[in-house]
Order: sequence, then C-alpha cells, then structure tokens
Amino acid sequence: MFLTRSEYDRGVSTFSPEGRLFQVEYSSEAIKLGSTAIGIATSEGVVLGVEKKVTSSLLESSSIEKIVEIDTHIGCAMSGLTPDARSMIDHARVSSLNHNLYYDEKIGVESLTQSVCDLALRFGEGASGEKRLMSRPFGVALLIAGIDEENGPQLYHAEPSGTFYRYDAKAIGSGSEGAQSELQNEYHSSLTLKEAELLILKVLKQVMEEKLDSNNAQLASVTKEHGFRIYKDEETAKIIEQLAENEADEPES
Amino acid sequence: MSDPSSINGGSAVAMMGKDCVAIACDLRLGSQSLGLANNFEKIFNFGHVFLGLAGLATDVTTLSEIFRMKTNLYKMKEERLIEPESFANLVSSTLYERRFGPYFVSPIVAGINSKTDKPFICGFDLIGCIDYAKDFIVAGTSSDQLFGMCESLYEPNLEPEDLFETISQALLSATDRDALSGWGAVVYIITKDKVLFLIYFF
Amino acid sequence: MSASSFAEGKATIASEYSSEVRREPIEHQFNPYSDNGGTILGIAGKDFAVLAGDTRHTTGYSINSRYEPKVFDAGDGFLISANGFSADGNALVKRFQNQLKWYHFNHGKKMGIRSGARFIQHLLYGKRFFPYYVHTIIAGLDEEGKGAVFSFDPIGSYEREQCRAGGSAASLIMPFLDNQVNFKNQLDPESNGTKKKELRYLSLEEVLKLVKDSFSSATERHILVGDGLEIMIVTKEGVRTEYYPLKKD
Repeated sequence: MFLTRSEYDRGVSTFSPEGRLFQVEYSSEAIKLGSTAIGIATSEGVVLGVEKKVTSSLLESSSIEKIVEIDTHIGCAMSGLTPDARSMIDHARVSSLNHNLYYDEKIGVESLTQSVCDLALRFGEGASGEKRLMSRPFGVALLIAGIDEENGPQLYHAEPSGTFYRYDAKAIGSGSEGAQSELQNEYHSSLTLKEAELLILKVLKQVMEEKLDSNNAQLASVTKEHGFRIYKDEETAKIIEQLAENEADEPES
Repeated sequence: MSDPSSINGGSAVAMMGKDCVAIACDLRLGSQSLGLANNFEKIFNFGHVFLGLAGLATDVTTLSEIFRMKTNLYKMKEERLIEPESFANLVSSTLYERRFGPYFVSPIVAGINSKTDKPFICGFDLIGCIDYAKDFIVAGTSSDQLFGMCESLYEPNLEPEDLFETISQALLSATDRDALSGWGAVVYIITKDKVLFLIYFF
Repeated sequence: MSASSFAEGKATIASEYSSEVRREPIEHQFNPYSDNGGTILGIAGKDFAVLAGDTRHTTGYSINSRYEPKVFDAGDGFLISANGFSADGNALVKRFQNQLKWYHFNHGKKMGIRSGARFIQHLLYGKRFFPYYVHTIIAGLDEEGKGAVFSFDPIGSYEREQCRAGGSAASLIMPFLDNQVNFKNQLDPESNGTKKKELRYLSLEEVLKLVKDSFSSATERHILVGDGLEIMIVTKEGVRTEYYPLKKD
C-alpha cells in the first residue's frame, strides 16, 4: 500500500493508477484530527454545536472561533485546519452579500453551500482560465446551517473534496464516529429546537475528553425568528445545567 | 434651457362645449427651476373675448397691453366690442408683424360670438398661424401632457358644468406632470349670458 | 496634395463660393444610438398586471414595421419591455432571459419580481458609461400575488409603481394615468369637495379600457405611435396576449 501511494501522492492533481486523488483523500484525514462539531436540523430551526479545545488554562476561550456567521440567515461550524476555513467563509460571505445585492433576496442555503464547494477544487494547476487559488486541498470541513423561504431549515456538510450533502443531523471531527451513531439513535423528525440543543450537548459530552462546560463548548442556532445566533456562554451554561438535571432524573439504563 | 418660451413656464388650455367655451391657465411664474410667483395669470379678457398667453412672461405682459390698446381702439372706431373671430385675426396679424423677431408666446383665444351665439376657440403659433379647432386647444410648457389629457378626457357637446370638470381635470393633471407649470390655476366657463370663474390655489 | 497631408489626417477643402483653399482635418463621428419611437404602458391591479406597447417601429419619419412586438414574456410570470433604441432594448431583454435561465440552474427556483427588478438594475448600471438607451418597464405578480409594475431609467434607477408610461408618448399618457388610476385631483363627490377620492383597485376590464384609451389618444397626437396595440396580461393563471389595431396614418 505504502509503495503504490508514494508514487502518486505528491502532485495534488495527479490520479493514481487506481483512479484516486490521494491529496484529496488525505485532506479528509485532517478533519478527523479536528475538534468535534455537530449540527441538527429541526422543523423549528437548525442547531450547531462545537467542542473548543482549550489547551491551556491561560488561553482565552472566547478567542477560539469555530462557529461563525455567514449572513443573518446562515451560519457554519468547522472542524479540521480551521485557518483554511477563513478563505471559505470569506467566499461564502461575499457570495451571500452579492446575491442579496443582485437579487434583493436572501441566498438559498444550498446555493450558498454550492458556492463554497466550488472553491474546494481550485487547487493545483489552474484549468481553463480559472485562476489557481491554492497549492493544496482544504483541510477543513464545514457544517453549514441556514434557513430559506423555499426549503426551510437546512443543514449541509461540505467536504474538502468539493462534494456536499444535506443532513438531518451530522457530526464531524475527531469524535464524529461515536457522535454520528448516537445521533442516528436519537434523531427523530419531530425534534424541537430545545431538544436539539440538549441532544448536541449530550453527544458532545459523550465524545469529549474534558468535562463539558460553557468554556469548552459553544452553541449556535438559525431560526426563522432570530436568524443566526451564537449563544452567550451563560446561555450555554444554562442548557448544560438542564442537561445535567435531565440525566439526574433518568439515570443511564 | 435657453429656449425663451420655456424660461418662465406656464400653460393654458381652451375647450369647446355645447353653447359654451372654457379657458384655463396655471398661475406659476418662474425663472427656470426657481419659482417666483403663484399669481401670474395668463388669461386676459377684452370684452367677451378671452385670450390665454403662455410663453415668455415679458411678452405675455407686453402683448396683453398691446391687445388692450388695440381692442380699445377697435371699440372706439367700431362702437362695439370685438368678436372672437375678429380678435383671432387681430392676434394673428399682430404676431406676424414681428415675423423675424417674434414674441415668444403661444396664444389661445376663446369666446362666444355675441351676434351668432356661436362658441369659438383657436390657437396660434408664435408668428400668428391660426389653428381653428372644434374641440380643444393647448399651449405652454405642459402642452404634451395637455394633449394627452384632452385627447382622452374630452367629448363634444358638454354642458357648462361637465366642461368645467373636464377642463379642470385636464389642466390640473397635466400641470402636475410639468415642473414649469402649476402653482395654482384659473378656469373660466363662458356661456352667452354669463362667465363663471374659479381659482385653484395650492 | 502632398503625401504628408494624408499622414496628418488633413484634407484640402475647396469652398464652393470662393477660390480660397482651406486645409483642415475632416472629422467623422459614429453615432451608436438611434430612436425607434413607440410607447409602452404598465398598470398593476389587485391580482393581475398588464404591460402594453404599440407595435410601430420607426427611424426618423420612416415606418420600418407596423408589427414589431416590444413587450415580451420573459418567463416566471415576467413581462418586460425596454422602449427607446430597439437594438439596446432587445439586447437587454435577451440578456435578462438568458440570466433568468442561469438563475434557474443555480438556484432551482422561480425568480421573484423584486429579484428580477434588482437584477435588471445591475444589467443597466453595468453599462453606466455606455448605457442602454431605453426606458424599461417590467410587470408581474409579487410574492403575495398582487400586481406589480417596476420602471427603470436608462442607467438602472428603479421604483415600484401602480402604473407607468414609457417611451415617446409617455408625457401624454402619464398625467392621464395619474388622474384615472391614482385618482389624482379627483375629489369624493359625497364630501362636497372636502375629501380626496379614495383609492381602489381597478378591475381588469377597467384597466384594459384605460390602456386602449391611452394608446388611441397617443396615436392621435403622436406620429411615432400607432399601427397596433399589443397588451400582455399576467394573472396567477399565466400570461396571455391581446391585440388591437391602432390608426396606421
């Protein structure tokens, strides 16, 4: 295996004889090293939650930004090489603003996701006239949450390969395997926003190494009423408290 | 905008009804975009003949005085008031005298012949070519708008009350779409035995 | 003439009236614009909108065609007409229709009338320094199903209105519309001249009557308007077209 790879994993746009692009595949591995991020779409709105790895007690936890606003109706959570997400977020914000400028309406969540993914394959030698933007694929994946007139609350997962899928609930990052199977068990279509907030924190708690608190976890939601909103630490703390109460009421069977 | 006929702005219109005529004008006097006065009447009467003068304000005043003089001389010579048809020809010849240095005005005439009781209206270009019309005559900076209004609102043989409504709506709506006209209006409804007169202030 | 005078772009001009010979450059100028006349009119109703235009196409005093439609169904319930210089008008309409298809590909939904209006603003402003010489009007239904008319100046300034006339005879028709659609200068007969006549939506029949009256009046007094009247009507059922002859003189 190693031998065959070593020949073809140098050039970012060179296929291996089996038809694989190793650099793109490796970029997906980078995400598995990232902190866990979870998103759940409900009929009331979409909730995002991330784990913030506070590596030092001297680190100001509020300076770790893993959930960001793209527009008033769209936000996203990231996992992987977070600096790579900066250019994606910039691109997403420009797309959304331009759409509003040109069409006097909010951009659709799928259209926005598509425009971010269009960026993902702009590495290597530039093809027909398109400018080469990056030397390597992105090392970050995004969970894009938003609401639009046509399709209501939506959650998309955008990968470094440029593909994207819509999910009801999705986990990415280091704890994603465990988290995803837990979401599989717990998700149902009549979930409320409140329940989704609790579920995200519950799953995060299970996959995190540290003890869950408002310092190392962050929540955000997109609703019709308030648009995209990152929860204040006190708000998150309250939900964590409630989670603890719930768990005390019905201990694990 | 150095066209003399649209420096001061202003419009006038006349209409023929059943045994009656109507003539109306706005009250604005301006200097290009600046409004100067809202009481500048552009309709003058010489006995039972009414003259509307839209165009360069100085020429409007001058001509109104000239026609006052000429109609008074006519009255003394003929020992009767001038009739609309004769007045129209007087206007025409007076304007043509200045063929190569014209007064920058678009006059209109309205009245009822006191002998025949026939209603009469007509209009002129600035050098006196007469436009005899059976329906309506428009003049001034909002003539395009007035043409549109009159052509769609006017119908023949209107009674004085309805003619009043028609000419008022035509003038008011037309001058509202012209920045150089408006600032009030005057309407005269002329029947063979009386003249109704109404001023709109804004 | 020496060869060098060619190089300097100068030519010898002999005056018809004297033997004086002057040497000065001859200037040639290409005028990229012309006026093809015609007039258009859009009115919005409660649950419908109409966009009408005459079908005469002219240059100067010549009539090129007595039937050259200039109101188009662009798709998605959009009626559009760009009156003025018809080459620019057609280019604008085609560009809009093309971009509408791209919008479908990219966003997979119908374009709303507001979005269409905003987009046309950018098409027009994109040529801010070599403008499309047109007065543009679009008509359709808004997101609530109400009739909508948007009108644009040649470089993209736009406004939603209840009604708008554009083109050669706009100045003739517009005050009539103010009076008959928005009841400007009209008073409530019951109020003894103390209250304005209250606004109400006109029925489609009333609107069509006003459109026909407007165009026959404009035809009567404006030489660039006439031949035929094409009215496009958009309702929730779709778009339909009606044609009425106008005077051909």
